[in-house]
Amino acid sequence: MSPSETAPPPVEVRLRDLTPPADSVEVVARVVALERREVTRRSDGSRRPLLSGLLSDGTASVRFTWWDPPREGVERGTVLRAVGAEVRAFRGRPELTFGWRTRIAPASEAELPRLTGEELPVRKLRALSANEEGFRVEVRVVRVTARTVSVGEERRVVHEGLLADRSGALAFSSWSDFGLADGETVRVLGGYVGTFRGQPRLVLDERASVTRIPAGDLPPPAEILRAAPQAIASIEDDGGGPSVTAEGIVVGLLPPSGLVYRCPTCRRSVTGGICRVHGQVDGQADLRARIVLDDGTGALTVNAGRAETEALWGVSLAEARARLRELPDPSVLEEQLLETLLGRRLRVRGAGRKDDFGITLDPETIEPVDIDLDAAANELSARLGTGAR
Amino acid sequence: MTLREPAWRVTARELESSLEEERGTGDRATGYVLSPFGARMNRVILAGELTPAEPVGRDDPPTFWRARLMDPTGAVAVTAGAFQPRAMAQLRAARERRLAIVVGKVHLFRGRDGVAYVSVRAEGIRSVAEADERALLADVVRQTLDRLDLIERLEHQPPEADDALRTPGVPGAWIRAGREALHRYPSVDRAAFRRELVAAVRRVAGATGPISAAAEEASGVRVTRAPPPAAPSAPPTAAERAEEAVFLTLLDEVADVSIDGYADLKEVLSRLESQGVVGTRAESVLNRLEEEGAVEEPIVGKLRRA
Repeated sequence: MSPSETAPPPVEVRLRDLTPPADSVEVVARVVALERREVTRRSDGSRRPLLSGLLSDGTASVRFTWWDPPREGVERGTVLRAVGAEVRAFRGRPELTFGWRTRIAPASEAELPRLTGEELPVRKLRALSANEEGFRVEVRVVRVTARTVSVGEERRVVHEGLLADRSGALAFSSWSDFGLADGETVRVLGGYVGTFRGQPRLVLDERASVTRIPAGDLPPPAEILRAAPQAIASIEDDGGGPSVTAEGIVVGLLPPSGLVYRCPTCRRSVTGGICRVHGQVDGQADLRARIVLDDGTGALTVNAGRAETEALWGVSLAEARARLRELPDPSVLEEQLLETLLGRRLRVRGAGRKDDFGITLDPETIEPVDIDLDAAANELSARLGTGAR
Repeated sequence: MTLREPAWRVTARELESSLEEERGTGDRATGYVLSPFGARMNRVILAGELTPAEPVGRDDPPTFWRARLMDPTGAVAVTAGAFQPRAMAQLRAARERRLAIVVGKVHLFRGRDGVAYVSVRAEGIRSVAEADERALLADVVRQTLDRLDLIERLEHQPPEADDALRTPGVPGAWIRAGREALHRYPSVDRAAFRRELVAAVRRVAGATGPISAAAEEASGVRVTRAPPPAAPSAPPTAAERAEEAVFLTLLDEVADVSIDGYADLKEVLSRLESQGVVGTRAESVLNRLEEEGAVEEPIVGKLRRA
């Protein structure tokens, strides 16, 4: 009795709708990641080839395992039609297995499920979590900039920036040029949520589509960029974010701060003339400050670069180097920097990420804050309910 | 994961009123001083007038310095030693009183009599202009009021509802500290403390003159406060009376054979242990006898009948 006589004919399903366990499904999807391996059989020690990776059809991404795959013809980007694949749950998520019963053939782009906007659920940015796809969002482009990056040998332009809706903000990277401009309001289909430095980020590639929509209730960019400061304790609770604003007092500096030397190739800091990656290099001088900012509810580290450090310190890189010639001890410079910073009240805004040491913020803006003492005194005596003044 | 401890905004008065601590367990554990007003502090920041420092100890050159920081509500000792070289240099360099911001770790030392001494081991000290001192004082008063308001709400709310407070942005650490304050200082007068903040608000508004009444006190005098009077305890039980009798007998035995006529405390405790009265129970017997005036300890570690 062969399985083809008993199994019901496979039905084509979307990856989003896979429900384990199922013995025979039909899917059309694109390979978005793959890895070839060999597994040694315990019984006779023979080796069996295996291909595993990630499939996506725009509604979801699902891991797959392909036993005895063809030697070639399957690459990242290949669209496949698999008939008679098995669905199993692994750690609560469905996975596909292609075995000897599964018939697999290349398919064309056109066979991928056609995603119309209406089919995908509308999601709020704050509710999105890593590895999600198959949704649409309606957002404001708070800002966008183009940047050239090296991907392997290739030079590519990536458009990066910040999106926002009423629920919050989310960073994005677009590998295709959708002509996005600051302040636009758009509907985005076919993106997925990746992570960058531990923070979620919406990634758009050639499969995504963008349409302009009326602004509706979407927050204006200024509302995101000029947001009132948040308690650092609640930034810690949120685990950072693409655009957080905090206000506090400088209570310390973390090393390395002050004058540092960087590898001319990769910008990593150089110790003893040795770069971690490039070996012996001629380090280039740079200024930085790792500022501990504290608001009484928590503390975070602000990684200030050269321009910000120069502005806060009032000492330029050239002046710092001149000082070093007179006092050949870089720690004196760090002391001097701390002396000017300690106790200063700053408002910072930028992308915050969380690690074992708490929140680190890469600042976009750092502003000194002046307190209106009269207003503060009035507010406080009103709260005390007495004629303090 | 150990996050950096935030610097609690507190007045000198709140530090003076803090008599309780929470010691961590294990290596490099973080300790906290608990205030009656909802601060669970490892690190603090405060603003006020800092006196010139005096050396402490007999090292030459001195390796430990102490000054006093006065704000409109009170005063607190600020210390720095060789492990805080930057702060120590700041402390010893000053010849005159000046306005300053101090960031540091809170220490609570409790003598055998239960009197608590709070000091701030400075990590950073900065002389500031008056506007900066007043601005930080405004932060201190604002956050102190926030904590007092929080305690008031916690007092009238079951602990199960605490999570609901977090949604409007009340830090979890504050809720915990507020609960702890209610638990550890059940009878403290928070309304009176609130009234004392008036002087600080006047200073924020620009009042001049001596920063604090405490400013007139000689520097180096430590403000000490005994713990709040304990709730009247139940009369001692027969068993406790018996333990006291044993204690006094042993005390007499030890005193009889000692050269100076005092009974050595360690000796008495070790004999007491062989009678089955151990550790904290022995301590409490001694405390009761001292309270009742039956025994006194004129020299640390030496007892005699009163």
